[in-house]
Amino acid sequence: MSATPTIQKRQSNTTRWLLAPGIIWMCLFLVLPILMIVYVSFWTQTTFNISSDPTLASWKQFFASDTYTGALWTTVRIWLIVLATTFIVGYPTALFVGLFVKSKTLSTVLLVVCVIPFWTSFLIRVLAWRPMLGKEGAINIVLLKLGIIQQPIEVLLFTELSVIIGMTQIYCVFMVGPIAFMLSRIDRNIIEAARDLGAGFGRIFWKIIFPLSLPGVVVGAIFVSVMVLGEFATSGALSGRKVNLLGNIIVTQVGSLKWAMASVVGVCLTVVMGIVIAGFLRIVDLKREL
Amino acid sequence: MDTAVFRLDGVTKRYGDLVALDNATLEAGANEYISFLGPSGSGKTTLLRVIAGFEAPEAGRVHFQGRDITNVPAHERGIGFVFQNFALFPHLTVVQNVGFGLTHGKSGLTPAQVEQRALEMIELVGLSGMEGRGVDQISGGQRQRVALARTLTMQPKLVLLDEPLGALDANLRGRMRNELRAIRERLGVTFVHVTGSETEALAMGDRVVVLDRGRIIQIGAPGQVYDHPATPDVAHYLNRFNLFEGKLSGGQFTGPFGTVAVPSAVKGDRDVYAVRYDRMRAVALDAAPTGPKIRATFIASEYLGSAVMNFFDAGDGHVIEMEHHLSLGAPQEFEPRQDYLLTWNPEQAIVFGREVR
Repeated sequence: MSATPTIQKRQSNTTRWLLAPGIIWMCLFLVLPILMIVYVSFWTQTTFNISSDPTLASWKQFFASDTYTGALWTTVRIWLIVLATTFIVGYPTALFVGLFVKSKTLSTVLLVVCVIPFWTSFLIRVLAWRPMLGKEGAINIVLLKLGIIQQPIEVLLFTELSVIIGMTQIYCVFMVGPIAFMLSRIDRNIIEAARDLGAGFGRIFWKIIFPLSLPGVVVGAIFVSVMVLGEFATSGALSGRKVNLLGNIIVTQVGSLKWAMASVVGVCLTVVMGIVIAGFLRIVDLKREL
Repeated sequence: MDTAVFRLDGVTKRYGDLVALDNATLEAGANEYISFLGPSGSGKTTLLRVIAGFEAPEAGRVHFQGRDITNVPAHERGIGFVFQNFALFPHLTVVQNVGFGLTHGKSGLTPAQVEQRALEMIELVGLSGMEGRGVDQISGGQRQRVALARTLTMQPKLVLLDEPLGALDANLRGRMRNELRAIRERLGVTFVHVTGSETEALAMGDRVVVLDRGRIIQIGAPGQVYDHPATPDVAHYLNRFNLFEGKLSGGQFTGPFGTVAVPSAVKGDRDVYAVRYDRMRAVALDAAPTGPKIRATFIASEYLGSAVMNFFDAGDGHVIEMEHHLSLGAPQEFEPRQDYLLTWNPEQAIVFGREVR
């Protein structure tokens, strides 16, 4: 009798015990609810009642209505725009924090500064944009006083633009963090080596720095995407109900107890997120990079 | 005429109050292998980085191929630099790493020419067949070769190596030592090699430059440095000498071993009596050796293959080392914790003294 099989058996038992809490938790509160939502989306909904008789009515209604499909496209459009703006604002910030700041302490301090807005509640952060962007808001007052504009800019608040501005500010830090982390892990000698071999700054950036930071960009993009696709509060508070995202539809439907329709929208949103995340994960092999 | 490949004139570099380099002056000829030896913090890496152009000196000039390059940026100097941790591009393959400088610099070569040059260099460093591997799929010694090949494809006239063998295991280090020398001889360029290991410095350099606290304290051929260390510090860094503090006056050195006549001494900043490990002899307490003697307790011995190192404690934690080459016959056997008399021929000692002019 050798002792190896016993040890292996004990190890596989340990593995099972360590995995069990996570698996049970995920099954109860993730897999099961998702299956429930898919199931409920096929229920029959009448004005005051809902029954479990299977029907495609809610699905047909979703794809036939301009309001619902419109919300789907608005969600995708706003997601793409916010993804682009958070990247455009976030990458240079991350480049500064992660690569150009030489002291580790200072770069940690700067990252903490980026997180300071999170010390207040989500709703306050969103609502704080109203006195900034409004017709008599801070931006308009300053621009009027400086004589740059004669009439207040009204497009700043209660438009898609205000939603994009708000979301960019709130989610930018989720882009900055992972990118700055990847950039800070780049060995400075590599950059010096590239310079010593005669490569200019542009070449070094595109051939060395950017490829090495790509896993951070992907992780940041996944964070931002998941949060923006599920958004409803920012669009509710800053668009004056003019911008309806899938999240807003779910809130309204649940509010009026239209469970079947809410489930259809929920399934659509989950599918979109699944496609987006799968797409991002194809860009880099995160398991290898992190 | 300036025949030197590079010349340093009074180079000084400070980091705040710390003087990393103090008035360093040095000249290197073409086709030479120079090693910089010094303890960590002696400024040897700083000196290398100043030559490479990664650091700007506060004072002094750097000349390269007859041109003052003190203010020329690193990439325009035409000096190759091999980093201590190799600094390979982790997302590129071996051939992409080696060809990087030709592809992205100002070589003006076509991709096919770049690939051909890169492949030639890969063959030179003995990595044929590895071109397409990622740099995380090869061993430490192979990475070292990639780093060297990447620098050599740029055809520099001077290659700076920052502790190139430090990241390798002992076995590999010995092999790479020979390889580095062979590659250098084939290309006929000047290598400057920074190391903290005295055996590496002595084995590889045509000339050894010893640094201490930012100052160059000796420049010479390995044999000359070994046989005639210029200062007590050099003797200390060579790690081949037992050093005794004491007092030199009137041709007599008074140390822990008593007073010995000193036929000749070297000017030093302090009075030190140095005896090479392999010049020491140990005898029983009742023997009466003629030369100087010091009583010490045997601690342990180390078998090194070609020699045996014996360690003695002369009190106060002062360890005296004695090397016995096995080619001279079987080693003496010593009893642990027994006292012996250590003695040597005073004519073979090197004495440093303040009173010497």
